[in-house]
Amino acid sequence: MTETSEPIDVTRAVEVIGASMVFNDGTPARVAALNDVDLVVETGDFVSLIGPSGCGKSTLLRLIANLLDPTAGDVRVNGKPAAQARLDQDYGMAFQKSGLFEWRTAAKNIELPLELKGWDKRLRAERVGEMLDLVKLPDRGSNMPWELSGGQQQRIAIARALASHPPLLLMDEPFGALDEMTREHMQSELLQICAATHTTVVFVTHSIPEAVYLSDRVVVMSAGPGRITDTIDVELGGTRNEDTREKDAFYGKITEVREALRGSEMTGEARGIEDR
Amino acid sequence: MTASGVVKRVGSPLLFGVAFLGVWELIVMAFDIAPFTLPAPSAIWSAFIERFDQVLEETLVTGKNALIGFLLGIVFGVLMSLLTVRFVGVESLLTPLAVAVNAIPIVVIVPILNNMLFGTTSQVPRRLMVMLIVFFVVFINVSKGLRQVSATHLELMRSYAATPWEILLKVRAPNAVGYLFTAMRIAAPLAVITAFVAEYFGGVQSGLATGVRNSLNGSKDVTWAYVIGASVLGLTFYLVSSGLERLHGGKQNSG
Amino acid sequence: MRVGLAERALRRTALLLAALGLAAVAWEVYKAIGPEQGGDIFGWRIIPKTNDRVMPHVWEMFAEFGRPAIGSGDQQVWSVLLGYSWFTLRMAFAGLALGAAIGVGLAVLMARLRIVERGLLPYLVISQTIPLIALAPQVTVIRGTLGLPQWTSAATLAAFLSFFPITVSTLRGLQSVPKASLELMDSYAAGWWTTLVKVRFPSAVPYMIPGFKLAATASVIGVIVTEITLGGLRGVGFATIDYSQKVTSQPASVYAAVFAAAALGLIMFGLVVLSESFVMRKRSRETT
Repeated sequence: MTETSEPIDVTRAVEVIGASMVFNDGTPARVAALNDVDLVVETGDFVSLIGPSGCGKSTLLRLIANLLDPTAGDVRVNGKPAAQARLDQDYGMAFQKSGLFEWRTAAKNIELPLELKGWDKRLRAERVGEMLDLVKLPDRGSNMPWELSGGQQQRIAIARALASHPPLLLMDEPFGALDEMTREHMQSELLQICAATHTTVVFVTHSIPEAVYLSDRVVVMSAGPGRITDTIDVELGGTRNEDTREKDAFYGKITEVREALRGSEMTGEARGIEDR
Repeated sequence: MTASGVVKRVGSPLLFGVAFLGVWELIVMAFDIAPFTLPAPSAIWSAFIERFDQVLEETLVTGKNALIGFLLGIVFGVLMSLLTVRFVGVESLLTPLAVAVNAIPIVVIVPILNNMLFGTTSQVPRRLMVMLIVFFVVFINVSKGLRQVSATHLELMRSYAATPWEILLKVRAPNAVGYLFTAMRIAAPLAVITAFVAEYFGGVQSGLATGVRNSLNGSKDVTWAYVIGASVLGLTFYLVSSGLERLHGGKQNSG
Repeated sequence: MRVGLAERALRRTALLLAALGLAAVAWEVYKAIGPEQGGDIFGWRIIPKTNDRVMPHVWEMFAEFGRPAIGSGDQQVWSVLLGYSWFTLRMAFAGLALGAAIGVGLAVLMARLRIVERGLLPYLVISQTIPLIALAPQVTVIRGTLGLPQWTSAATLAAFLSFFPITVSTLRGLQSVPKASLELMDSYAAGWWTTLVKVRFPSAVPYMIPGFKLAATASVIGVIVTEITLGGLRGVGFATIDYSQKVTSQPASVYAAVFAAAALGLIMFGLVVLSESFVMRKRSRETT
């Protein structure tokens, strides 16, 4: 693993050591979703997981979130066991489908994690207001999810994930269902939000430009069994904005990631298994 | 399915059933409850065996009413939905009526049917009642099947310059067959229940409900003997119709 | 959106009235041309009699509401039937409430414990294929032994009929929560009961509504059939039987009673539809 960002904190945001995940062990439907995976995410990093279907990128994210327990190996978040980190709410999570509850207003959706944490009502309202400002939807709080556009829904979902100011944000193809224009716009927004909140991000995607544009590092995975085949540092210099997409360095990195993905495809036999 | 899967699927219900009957038997024994109040399962079983011929006879009466009404209901339901898919006006009149009928306790018209049709000497009112209930279930479902066809298929047929009749035959009807089987599965137990309930309204002194009714003041193990008859009848209707539905579904999947 | 719904409801009602009007015309036409004493087809007596005793004129049926009721002194039919209907409606409500409590309780239990679902669900399905109303005599005896008032028999049997659609629809609703929602709650380290209250129940609501619609109708049927079976409960079901036995003196009374029963069913159904539009008022139309 390479050391990219300056080590401000000795505690690493995410540390996955020799993790394996086998589904349906002992049956004909046995699937080795992950095999002996090591991953380190330093605090403040933006790391993308990219790879073909069945490479286990979503599974890896769920191991970090402790939504799944690895069949072998160890996962530590903020220096704690993943299970403890989940109980302590050390991370927030956002999914491909915004996963907003359709019976709650946008504000009520953002409020949910705070409610579960037992926050005081006044504090909750205050924080929800802050979060709505952060995602630039200050007057949409009273709207029901179906009254919002796809991009707005995803912003609310991000606000919900960040509501309790977790140091780590886990995102599973959050922009996968958005149209290309909205998607690029949301990517820039996400970078601004993360810079403003100093959040570490682990981001699952299968869009190469998205991974390159957002990440400090792109982790390339391959299927059958799921494993990490390459890690590419993305140094584009300066603040990233819409102009970044036009730069040669950006295209260069895209080519690099694409070649890494092709290489991993050659070595791994595609098994065509969905990766969740 | 694995062997443990079969055990799980059959085992748990079996366990629950045996435990339920056991607890029932024990309660009756422990509290010394009179058979007039609540008979033990064992007493019910012996009453059932003892009166087997009579229970069978009444079951056949009710079963025949249910079956005839069921078949007639299907025939009329299918015919009417074919008619309404061709004539939109009929559909828009009949559908709200069908919805309303579903919301009202329509069995109360049995006394009227009885009066109209010399009910005291005839099983016809009961069969008509069953027919009516089955008709609405079949009509609603088959109409849905005839109507909810894929827009792509319809456009395709239109590009072939197919006539409405051809569209009905090649696209709508095949789509509706599955709905018909579903309707039959829903309507089959309803047919038995309706035939049974219709007997309560008086008329000829025969059928399972008459048996139950006559046991009102007697020992309850006799009531339960007829309940067993009713259960077997209802289950038979349900199993046959859901078996047919599954058979059809399986054929469609493999074909 | 509101306007659209209201418009559709209005259109449906108009069409329903038109259909009923056509039925009334057909009734009068048949009455004019059909045989007075009925007839047979293939040996089956299925040609209805058309005499005034069994097929009164449609206007007679409506006029009946204003006439004095048989066996009720000088009280008019409408007021007698109103009293009966109120009695039946209360029992149906009690039955629906009981059925809802049992239905939702069972659904939660089955959603929580797979073994209960596997063990119990087959029996619940079976229980719906048999005429449970056959247990009326048994229920009434146990009620008597426990010293409960007579109306509780009807409420219990109504609950018997109405709990099942509620159980099945609620269970399906509780089990069809999107996986991402459950993962989200997991990521909050929320417990099963918190998830039940915050996520499973709210997202089950659209599934539960059709179940409650069926249950509302079933509860009315349960009460009416109990009245007919057991006797002693003077509601609308009793009225249909009672009036049909006195058909010679006042034939149209039976029809008035049937209309009252139909109205009851529609009222119960309407109440569920009203509460649906209240509960779902803030949800998108696509989710319903």
